[in-house]
Amino acid sequence: MRTNDKSRRAGWWRRAAIAAVTLSMAAAGLPSLANAWTYKEAAAPYKGTKIVILDEVTPLQQTFAKLVPEFVAETGIEVDYQLLNHFEVINKGQADLLSGRGAYDGVMLHSAQMGLLLDAGALRPIDDLLADSKLTSPDIDVADFIEPNWSTTAKFKGETYGLPTWNYNVMYWARGDLLSHPDEQAAFKAKYGYDLAPAETMQQMRDIAEFFTRKAGATLAGQTLAGDFYGIGLEGIKGGTTWGTVWNSFLKNWGGDLFDKNGKPNFDTPENRAAIKFWGDLWAFGPPGLAETSLLDVPTLVGTGVVAQSIAWSDFALGVDRPGNSEFAGKFAYRPVPRNADYNGPRSAEAAPSIIAIGKASKNPQAAYLFLQWMSDKQTQAKLADALGGGVPIRNSTWDLPAFKDSDHAKLYEAMQETMKYTSGKPRVPQIYQIFDVMSGLMQEVGLGKITPEQATKQGQEALLKICGDKCVL
Amino acid sequence: MIDTDTASRAGVNRESPERRFWYPYLLIAPTMVTLVIISLIPFLYTVYLSLHESKYGQVGGFIGLENFLVVLADPRFWNAMGVAIVFVLIAVPIEFMLGLAGALILNAGVRYRGTLVPLMFIPTMMAPIVVGLLWKIMFAGSWGLVSYNLFERFGILSGTSIFGSRNLALYGIILVDIWQWTPFMMLAFFAGLQSLPVNPYRAAAIDGANPVQVFFLITLPMLSPLLVVIVILRLIDAFKIFDSIFILTGGGPGDATESPSIFAYKMVFEYWQIGEASALAVLVWLLFFGFCNLFYQVAKKRLNAF
Repeated sequence: MRTNDKSRRAGWWRRAAIAAVTLSMAAAGLPSLANAWTYKEAAAPYKGTKIVILDEVTPLQQTFAKLVPEFVAETGIEVDYQLLNHFEVINKGQADLLSGRGAYDGVMLHSAQMGLLLDAGALRPIDDLLADSKLTSPDIDVADFIEPNWSTTAKFKGETYGLPTWNYNVMYWARGDLLSHPDEQAAFKAKYGYDLAPAETMQQMRDIAEFFTRKAGATLAGQTLAGDFYGIGLEGIKGGTTWGTVWNSFLKNWGGDLFDKNGKPNFDTPENRAAIKFWGDLWAFGPPGLAETSLLDVPTLVGTGVVAQSIAWSDFALGVDRPGNSEFAGKFAYRPVPRNADYNGPRSAEAAPSIIAIGKASKNPQAAYLFLQWMSDKQTQAKLADALGGGVPIRNSTWDLPAFKDSDHAKLYEAMQETMKYTSGKPRVPQIYQIFDVMSGLMQEVGLGKITPEQATKQGQEALLKICGDKCVL
Repeated sequence: MIDTDTASRAGVNRESPERRFWYPYLLIAPTMVTLVIISLIPFLYTVYLSLHESKYGQVGGFIGLENFLVVLADPRFWNAMGVAIVFVLIAVPIEFMLGLAGALILNAGVRYRGTLVPLMFIPTMMAPIVVGLLWKIMFAGSWGLVSYNLFERFGILSGTSIFGSRNLALYGIILVDIWQWTPFMMLAFFAGLQSLPVNPYRAAAIDGANPVQVFFLITLPMLSPLLVVIVILRLIDAFKIFDSIFILTGGGPGDATESPSIFAYKMVFEYWQIGEASALAVLVWLLFFGFCNLFYQVAKKRLNAF
């Protein structure tokens, strides 16, 4: 016993000694190692440098702009953070990058833009900067970036072309008050044989759309309708994100796609025809004028009580679902984009992940890189989430922040997080906007009943071959 | 013509004949230099681009008329030209007739004319983006101010939407253009009427001419130079319609409202086909150059307008 006690005591002392040494080492050395990297020190060689960053203007970026002075104060790098609307960012950003003028050091790019810019060789890879320990924080934690959105947008042929900034995605958005109304639930069950609830499948979404499409004078949730009411609101304008939503939220959920594995146009397929028919048939349950309904109009339709449900961009839902912005605020229901009950393949949803990339002509790539790194930094993202009361995360760890978990929009964020499991960047197709333009026009014609899905896929295939030949994807 | 006193003060008379020859050119030089810089040089560069290969904004080698052939072989080009021609042939004559009628009424001495004239000019003064958004709200689906109160309530065009319908969208845009540009025509013609000499009218009154005779035999001939200029300007402007289409339909549904300007914009800023887009611009310019010359010659000979 004594021996045991002695040896136990000796062991305790030995452990205590090791602990003391470790602690003293930690006190003396480790903290200095951990604190070795700071933005201030990393930016010291670039102090006084002025960089110009171009980003898109939405409430997200307007809030972020208020944080930018913190970066300036910490690094001494002057930042001209310019915000332009969606189309201007694309036009001006691309014009600058393609011309090699270098007016912007960093340009916000949607994933759809990457094909053209990579093919043109207009972007500067940042792998050397990422590998530079003087410039890159050891805490950058790129593994925390939401995937595959970042990689499918920023990485190409083994090189990295930017850090993530915003992760927009579409999701299912419905009037929860209608779906949970007892009279409506009873009537729905009597008609369709299952419970009325936010749609989990495309087929349920279609039934809900049909069920809630009613004429003025009919009853809706116990109230007499003064005007017509519609089952679904969908984006259908030429341009915008009409085609992206059809492509990624419908075609792919039917097993279809635009290209085959080799990047060759493969549009005239039974899967695509079935998906387009399903999407086009939904127009019968939408308000007149879906062909002029933009991505901005869809939230208006839901928020003003014109439609029962929609597939809409989540960041717009965030704007509408606030007291004062909609009389139905707090009564909405959110889900991921519904799956196709008849298809067991991988799910898909439309998304627009974005990055900020550095142009080849940038005169200050290091300073710009430091800004990008700071922008996607965990601390900055946490501050942004606090300031916004949520947002559209680019890091997985952000979902766990109180701004998301304890938010009034927690259900919306759950739907957003779940949807992002099925999203990715667009394939690298240099002519993608030309394809968007042609395809959205064809989809309008299907929705309006001017052409059949069969004609649409046939004409679409011919157009694709004409636009980019046998190989569309880089 | 140079006023003698002014010229004398400027010392022109004391200058040599050679200097006197150059004096008018010197006066118009700032305008001409400005026009060359902002108009002629970009136009010549557009012609240059139309004859060269280009990819992603980088100008390549000379390819002759290939860009023109590509554009001319594209059904979207012919569709866009058709859209513009229908637009111009409907919008401009209506604007002309309404504008002239309104100008005659104003000229006849309407009460509160001083207040009415600036108010009527509001649509023309509005920024195109505002006009687009205004009409988007007025004709929105079935719940816009006009679409609901006029169409839905009375069952006219019920269940459809103006800008969302392939058959109606172009006419909706024509209506917007008429709303915006008729006041311009009206006020331009009104200004012309106000500047006409009084003596021919006095002579006609003495001769016992009736109002119709006065209009067709005195007013219209005297006003014709102005009418021709205004109509040419409106024709050119209407053919280039871009803003309201961009805001209201984006060229859709399908390609129902895709004008040459919308098509060219997409070719440049979305497709980055700068060579083809330049060829399209040059083709439209050639078309208008020919048309305006023809119009000018006809106006000169038949209407004695110039």
